[in-house]
Amino acid sequence: MTSEGVPRSGERDGDAGWGDDAPAPGDSHPAFDTSIAHQARIYDYLLGGKDNFAADRKAGDAMIAAYPTMVGLARANRVFLGRAVRYLTADAGIRQFLDIGTGIPTAGNTHQVAQEIAPETRVVYVDYDPVVLSQARALLTSSEQGATDYIDADARNTEAILEKAARTLDFSQPVAVMLVMILHAIGDSDDPYGIATRVMAAVPAGSYLTISHPAADIEPEKVANVTGSLNELSYQKYTTRTHSQVMRFFDGLDLVDPGLVQVQQWRPGIERNQTAAVWAGVGHKPRD
Amino acid sequence: MSIQAGSGPPVGDLGRVEGGSTVLRVMVGGQLRRFREAAQVTPDEAAYAIRASRSKISRMENGRVGFKTRDVGDLLTLYRVNDRTRAEVMALAQRASVPGWWAQYSDIVADWFEAYLGMEAAASLIRSFEGQFVHGLFQTEAYARAVTMLGYRAAPAEEIDRRVSMRMKRQEQVGRPGAPHVWSVLDEAVLRRPVGGPEAMRAQLDRLIEAARLPDVTIQVVPFGRGGHAAGGGSFTVLRFAEPDVPDVVYIEQLTSALYLEKRDDVEHYLEVMNVLGAQALSPAATERLIRQIIRET
Repeated sequence: MTSEGVPRSGERDGDAGWGDDAPAPGDSHPAFDTSIAHQARIYDYLLGGKDNFAADRKAGDAMIAAYPTMVGLARANRVFLGRAVRYLTADAGIRQFLDIGTGIPTAGNTHQVAQEIAPETRVVYVDYDPVVLSQARALLTSSEQGATDYIDADARNTEAILEKAARTLDFSQPVAVMLVMILHAIGDSDDPYGIATRVMAAVPAGSYLTISHPAADIEPEKVANVTGSLNELSYQKYTTRTHSQVMRFFDGLDLVDPGLVQVQQWRPGIERNQTAAVWAGVGHKPRD
Repeated sequence: MSIQAGSGPPVGDLGRVEGGSTVLRVMVGGQLRRFREAAQVTPDEAAYAIRASRSKISRMENGRVGFKTRDVGDLLTLYRVNDRTRAEVMALAQRASVPGWWAQYSDIVADWFEAYLGMEAAASLIRSFEGQFVHGLFQTEAYARAVTMLGYRAAPAEEIDRRVSMRMKRQEQVGRPGAPHVWSVLDEAVLRRPVGGPEAMRAQLDRLIEAARLPDVTIQVVPFGRGGHAAGGGSFTVLRFAEPDVPDVVYIEQLTSALYLEKRDDVEHYLEVMNVLGAQALSPAATERLIRQIIRET
């Protein structure tokens, strides 16, 4: 593909943004609009970042009002991401990650955790928000031995994701697929299970799937209040799911110990063990 | 048009630079005030705790005096800030008392620009949009000299030399461990305007490609083909600091002074424009291809 008459070389580069290839047809993109809250920026606010705007803070504050330990929950999810990536790299020997729903860069991003353990690790980040993606591309720079790539695609468009990820990842080798705090933004009518199924079908035995997902069956009344206010204030609409509904994403996979548990209970470190209404787990794709 | 920071001819009143960074003092002072208010401590109580006057507290909080480490430590204890925040503030106070790299150039640095240098040295992320000149941190000596001569046609040769040498010294901050990440978005016009002549410009374009390969540097071009873009005309810089409590600052250079925007509404407006520019611009890899193409064409 060419852009402005610039010949495109064969090198693997992050070609997110309008600058390179256009997003796949049919993908939806959040407009450049900070007057409505946006999931990535709300999360940034909850984590104490500086890439959020008034509407995001309003939504974040509404979440905190409905669920006072929301900040702790956001941090617990971030800590889970780090622990899962460490497990996958150090213990499971994974050297390729497909991280769908990258979010705004903060501390301890997937490639940083993984490349600290294994510098040759290759990571593909996927997001459908061009602003988030341009920040990731500018700020999430790879180690020299490894590689990072950035794909502009909607999580629902698994065909485009897999095609573009193949520029950086070798799909004959195991891949860790990360769907961390993203599937709840995919409503039931958009076939969320199909996303996990199609991506996991494209990776070989020995691959892994990591999921964290807001729970519908932990402190359900408080959670319903959070979802209710968010769905009024945010660009994305949210669907919480129960333990058994989240389990379905792992169909055909073997869950790694300790299974699908509250996010802060997945191979915990020393952090406090308060209730957090998020299910989290890592599944392993077995040989047939 | 962006001059000293961004990059154009350094104009402006000559200023005097004291030891240490005014900007960092202002940041530390602002934090001290916020912590004091949060702890509901009066200025008199704070003054008593460090054996000083109420006006000393006020001067500290406004960044108008240097800090003694012991005083800052005692105040943070009084305000009951947690250990992590304490360590951050203490480190910032420490840095505020170290003279900046530009101290030896105090005779040619305007006050309004000294503040920028202090922030640039303290920032963790520098994002800029340049409409006219290559960012000062990436200029070759010949390009910097040409730009400086634009602003100082009447200056003696020695002064021009010193200004150029200061800009080269400033570049030592880029690319070393712990350096800020510099994310520079350029209008294509910057690449096409042969400042210093075609040969100097080709060398400058090579230099940009080289700089973009540093791990902490991102360079993107907004090509003409994009049509109008979010920045409108003006160059500007958004500085971000690693300290969670220190807000972003927007720096906009004018011919004889500069604007520093710190109010949240103002900053967010520029941040949003910067975000859109980053997404509108060519990716870093496509930017390199465009620069190579321009080198071939000129």
